[in-house]
Amino acid sequence: MKDAFRLAWSQLAHHPVKLATGVAGVIFACVLIFAQLGFKRALYDSATLVQTGLTGELFLVHRNTDTLMQTHSFPRSRLHQALAVDGVTSVSPFYIGTGSWKNPWNASRRATLIFGVDPVSAPIKFPGVRAVLSLLKRDDVALFDQGSRPEFGDVPGALRRGEKLAVQVNERRLEITGTFALGVSFTADGNLITNEATFMRLFRGRALTGPDIGILTLRPGASVEAVRAAVRERLPEDVRVLTHAEFVGVERQYWENNSPIGAIFSLGVIMGLIVGVVIVYQVLYTEIANHLTQYATLKAIGYSHRFLVTLVGAAALILGVLGFVPSVAISAGLYAIVREVAFLPMNLPLDRLAGVFLLTLAMCLGSALLAVRRLRAADPADVF
Amino acid sequence: MKPIVSAHDLEFAFGEGATRRTILRRVSLDILPGEIVLLTGPSGSGKTTLLTLVGALRKMQAGRMRVLDRELADADEEARRTIRREVGYIFQMHNLLPFLSARENVALAFGENSTLPRTERLARADVLLGEVGLGQRLHDFASSLSGGQKQRVAIARALVHQPRLVLADEPTASLDKQSGHDAVRLLRQLARERGCPILLVTHDSRIFDIADRIIHFEDGMIVEPVTA
Repeated sequence: MKDAFRLAWSQLAHHPVKLATGVAGVIFACVLIFAQLGFKRALYDSATLVQTGLTGELFLVHRNTDTLMQTHSFPRSRLHQALAVDGVTSVSPFYIGTGSWKNPWNASRRATLIFGVDPVSAPIKFPGVRAVLSLLKRDDVALFDQGSRPEFGDVPGALRRGEKLAVQVNERRLEITGTFALGVSFTADGNLITNEATFMRLFRGRALTGPDIGILTLRPGASVEAVRAAVRERLPEDVRVLTHAEFVGVERQYWENNSPIGAIFSLGVIMGLIVGVVIVYQVLYTEIANHLTQYATLKAIGYSHRFLVTLVGAAALILGVLGFVPSVAISAGLYAIVREVAFLPMNLPLDRLAGVFLLTLAMCLGSALLAVRRLRAADPADVF
Repeated sequence: MKPIVSAHDLEFAFGEGATRRTILRRVSLDILPGEIVLLTGPSGSGKTTLLTLVGALRKMQAGRMRVLDRELADADEEARRTIRREVGYIFQMHNLLPFLSARENVALAFGENSTLPRTERLARADVLLGEVGLGQRLHDFASSLSGGQKQRVAIARALVHQPRLVLADEPTASLDKQSGHDAVRLLRQLARERGCPILLVTHDSRIFDIADRIIHFEDGMIVEPVTA
């Protein structure tokens, strides 16, 4: 095995241009795969930022709600019914609407998500929100997501300078009194939090309906499954009762299955793999074709076909490793640029590094499997 | 003395049906230990085909043959590969791996299953390359050597693992007069020292004097065994 790797390296290194071509092909494929996986993960992570930031154990949503981008409200009385179930200690309504933000400096308009919450007991843990939530006890004030896109204006800067900041949202005047950090997603450029009364004023007509999400906090030590079963039994079929993991999973599933975006990124990964397979195959195939006589000679002096297959596989793995390492650095830079420009949560976790590394090795070995068919032509009887 | 190679009524043909072309017809020969045997004859007369059969590079079709105490008639690929590991081959075009140094090319002959450590294999290659006059070119890539030097590396590769039989196909064809003469003299000297027989295909009359026996081929048959 060691001899095969040594021989493969000697063969690759002897032609630096071909080696560079193969490595460049692997780098290109890896960067493409990293980019697609990064965008896909960013899509899922950003789409579930709100759910992740809610701290209840059980959640009520309308049975037709598959995504927070398109919620259906349910009767508020469902919260009261749930509160009557043994094990539920508190319930909290959570309203979601899409409003129109008018930039106070240049009057440009952007769509923003607006959350209506109970300023006293809202079980939310968006970074920084606990310190400023009580400011929402006043009506017609809002908290601003400092992760919102810059087109919303330098709201955090104005607050730091102590300026009193009045803005227009849905043609109503609101005062921004504090900030929190949530971040943008593929569908929301910014976020605001108001109290329920302000939310109702911003969205006339919503008072007649109920909340979009009901957050249930359970007694410490209570069995989530048992309480869920009891709530399920108590409430009619117009709402779904979800655990926190299911609540996040519903949104993720929506983007995976009902939206073309997830499929597009998956297709991008496949395209990256195909590009990599083709380039590595070309390099390996050319190497075999150019050295067919030498391979036949090796067979003639007693080397097995299996050794030659191992040799080609070793060359493929060397190309894979040489291409993967720089692709990590390039992808990390690419992620940083996307974070800076698009404000998307692009990170490079270890599991993705390991996953792409294994994919790269599989891609290269796949190319080797295709290329070794050429080895059959290396007949030791032809070397004389 | 027990022959190293003993062939009886060898027949071989290429193609099928109407395109079938018989290459060897009832060829029989023995090669004894330490013997240098030259095969001569016109192109297409079957010399090289015989060489590939003796070298276990090709599956036999008809006749009987024992090489290095093993029957080749029904030998499968694994059995033939086992025999090949005990044979030294010298090819007309050297067939060195251009991306390896001279010493690495020679050390390759120890095979994939060698129990010798790599350092030992390379050390033995160095010794033999020294004997063939390439002690100063050990680390040079094969692609940077002259034709004569390549052939000397090929000779070293054929002998380094102490084979019991050496097969050579036109080893002087691509060499100038002096290089060809040097290569053959070297081959004879090393073969004599190690006592292994050499079966050599050649058209080069300049080297006929090294042979113990010259076998002339025509139309797939041995025409005239001649004692040199």
